[in-house]
Amino acid sequence: MAQKRTIKRFEIPANRGNVYSADGSLLATSIPKYDVAIDAVTSSDKNFKKYIKPLCDSLAAFTGKSSGSFEQKINKARQTKDQYLLLARNLSYTDYMRFRNFPLLKLGAIRGGFVYDQKTKREHPMGGIAERSIGYERIDENGYATRVGIDGAFGKDYLRGETGSRLKQKIGKGEWKPIRDVNEVEPKDGYDIYTTIDVNIQDIAHHSLLGQLEKYEADHGCVVVMDVKSGEIKAISNLGRNKIGKYYERLNYAVGESHEPGSTFKVMAMMAALEDKVIDTSTIVDTKNGRKYFYGRTISDSHHGGYGKISAAKALEVSSNIGLATIIDENYSSNPEKFLKQLRDWHLDQTLGVSIIGEGKPVIPKPGDKIWSKNALPSMAYGYNMQLTPLQTLAFYNAIANNGQLIKPRFLKAVKEFDRDIEVFEKEVLVNKLCKDETLSQIKDILKNVVSRGTGKKLYSETFSMAGKTGTARTDYADIEAWKEDPKYVSSFAGYFPAENPKYSCIVVIHKPSTKVGFYGADVSGPVFKRIAQKIYTDTPLIDQIQTGDYNNELIANDFEKFNSISNKYKTIMPNLIGMPAMDAVAFLENMEVDVNIKLNGNGVITSQSVSKNIKLKPNQTVVLEAS
Amino acid sequence: MIASAHSADEKVYEISELSNEVKELRSAFVDGRSKLMRLKMESTIVKKVEEKGLEISTTPPKKIKVKARD
Repeated sequence: MAQKRTIKRFEIPANRGNVYSADGSLLATSIPKYDVAIDAVTSSDKNFKKYIKPLCDSLAAFTGKSSGSFEQKINKARQTKDQYLLLARNLSYTDYMRFRNFPLLKLGAIRGGFVYDQKTKREHPMGGIAERSIGYERIDENGYATRVGIDGAFGKDYLRGETGSRLKQKIGKGEWKPIRDVNEVEPKDGYDIYTTIDVNIQDIAHHSLLGQLEKYEADHGCVVVMDVKSGEIKAISNLGRNKIGKYYERLNYAVGESHEPGSTFKVMAMMAALEDKVIDTSTIVDTKNGRKYFYGRTISDSHHGGYGKISAAKALEVSSNIGLATIIDENYSSNPEKFLKQLRDWHLDQTLGVSIIGEGKPVIPKPGDKIWSKNALPSMAYGYNMQLTPLQTLAFYNAIANNGQLIKPRFLKAVKEFDRDIEVFEKEVLVNKLCKDETLSQIKDILKNVVSRGTGKKLYSETFSMAGKTGTARTDYADIEAWKEDPKYVSSFAGYFPAENPKYSCIVVIHKPSTKVGFYGADVSGPVFKRIAQKIYTDTPLIDQIQTGDYNNELIANDFEKFNSISNKYKTIMPNLIGMPAMDAVAFLENMEVDVNIKLNGNGVITSQSVSKNIKLKPNQTVVLEAS
Repeated sequence: MIASAHSADEKVYEISELSNEVKELRSAFVDGRSKLMRLKMESTIVKKVEEKGLEISTTPPKKIKVKARD
C-alpha cells in the first residue's frame, strides 16, 4: 500500500521528429505549450483581496481585454467555489513564465491557486503555407487517428519514436527519483524527415494561387510544382474558401480530389491517337460550325461559329471539343478497348501510390460499366465522363517533359536521425517510356504552340518559354437548368517550363471561379503557372562565359607609360596636367605624396590648373582644375 | 549511504531545472525561427520594399564568368 503511493511507473514520451524542407528550413516541430488556470478558492482572503486587482491588471495587459471583466469572473469563481478557471490556452513557454510571475499566481499552487497543464503541440513555423501537405497526426481519446499530409503519413514509421518508461520513487518538492540508474524502457526519439519542398517556390506558389482565388472569388484551388527529372514535389498549395471568404489550407485537393479534368485530358487522347498512328498531326478534322451531333447529343466549341476544317494539331492548340471527340470517335468507336488499353498502359487508371494518405482514385470507364455508353468515348476525348486528380494529370505532363518516362511524384528526400541517413528515397519509375520519340516530339510541339498561338497565348512571354494546355471544364452540371442559371467551371493549366529541356512541371486547378470575373483556364489558372515559371526564370542567373582578351593595344600601352613616368617623377611638385583627361588628372593628384584638396570643374580634358607646374605643393593646398 | 542518496536527490532537482531550461530555450528557438521564416519569405520582402519603390526584376541576373586564357 505504502509502496504504491511512493513508487510509480512513469511514461517517458519520445520527442517527435521534425519535418524539414529541402534546404533544411523547419516545417513542423514539437514544442511545449501551456494552459494556465486559477484555483479561485485556495488563496487566503487576505492574499486574494490584496492581489486580485493587480492580477487582473496584468491579465488585461496580456490579453487586451478589460481588467474589470477578469475581476468579475474570478470573483464569481471564488463565490461558486470553482477550482479551475481557465485563464489562457496554448501559451508558449515564455508567456507561461510571464503568467507565473503575475501577482497572486506568483505565490504558487497552494497559496496563489496557480494551475497549469503542459502539453506538447505541433507547430508549423511557416504558418498557413503548405499546412495541409506538411500535415499533422492527431490521436483522439478513443485512439482514432487523424492523419494529414506528410506528418500524418510518416508518423507511425518515422516521426513518432517509441515511448519509454521508468520506475520512480517519491522524494520531496513533488519530485520523483528514478529507482534504477537506467530507464526500464528507453524512449526512442522519432526520426527527422526531410521533404522535397522548396520554401521559395512554395512561397511563390502559395501567394500567386491565393491572389488568383481572391481575384476570381473561386471556391477552392491547388497548385503543384514538380521537378521533371526526379519527380520531387517542390511546392504544393491547396486553398479553400471559408464562410467569410478567406482562404486557408483546407483539404489536400491536389492529392485527394478526383474530378473531370476537361481539356487538359485532350493531350492524352491526342497522344493515344498519334501513337497508334490512326491520325497524323496534319490529318484534317471537320469541326463544323462549332456544333456537332454525336449519338443524339450535341458537342459544342466555345469559339463562336466554330473552326471549320482544321488539322488535328490545330484542333488541340485551339482546344476544340468537336475536333478531339471526332478524332477519337472515328478511330476507336469500333474498338474502344484499343484506346482504353493505351490509357491503362500509361497508368492513368491507377493511383500513383503517393505517400500522402487519401489519394483520389482515377475513374476511366470501360464497356459494361454503368457510366459507359456510345457517348463515353467522344466525351472522354475532351476530358469528361472520367476522373483524375490534379497530381495524376501532373505526373503525366511531367512524363512528357521527361522524355516519356513516367515517375512517381515524391514528397520525401530522406529520413534522418540527426545527420545520419536512416532511409534515402530515390526516384520511382512507373512507366519507362510512354510512347515513341516521334509522338513525344509532336505533342511537345503542340504544347509549345498552345502558349505561343493557341488558347494559352495570353500567357506567352518573349523572355522565357513554357509549354502546356489550358482546361475549362464544366462542373456540377447534373441539373442542367440550374447550371445554365449559374454556370460553374473548373479552370486549369498543366504544363512545364522551359519548353526546351524542361526543368519543372506544374499544374494549377481552380474550382468555381466567379463567372462574372472570368472562367477560362488561360485567364484564371494560367497566370499562377506563369508567375511561378517567371519566378524560377528570374531567379536563375544567365551565365555568360568570356575569355580574357589580349589587350596589346599600342595606344593604351603608350598612355599608361606616360602616366607612369609622370607619377614616378612628380611626388610633391605640381606636374603639367593640361591636356590630360580629368579622370587621370584627379587620380594622379590623389596619389601624390602630399595631400591636396582637388576642385574639378567640368569633366573632359584639363584646360587649366590653378597651380602652375614645377611649384612645390603644400599639404591641404587647394588645386582648382578646369576641364572642357 | 545517506550522503549519496541526498546527492542523487540533488541531481534529480538539477535535472528537472535543466530540462525546464531546455524547454524554455526550445520554445524561444521555435518562436524566433518562425519569425525569421516569415520575414525572409520573398512575399514578405516584396511587401516591405514596395514602399521604397523596389520591385522584382523581370529579367534574371547575368553572371559573367571570365575564363583565363591558357
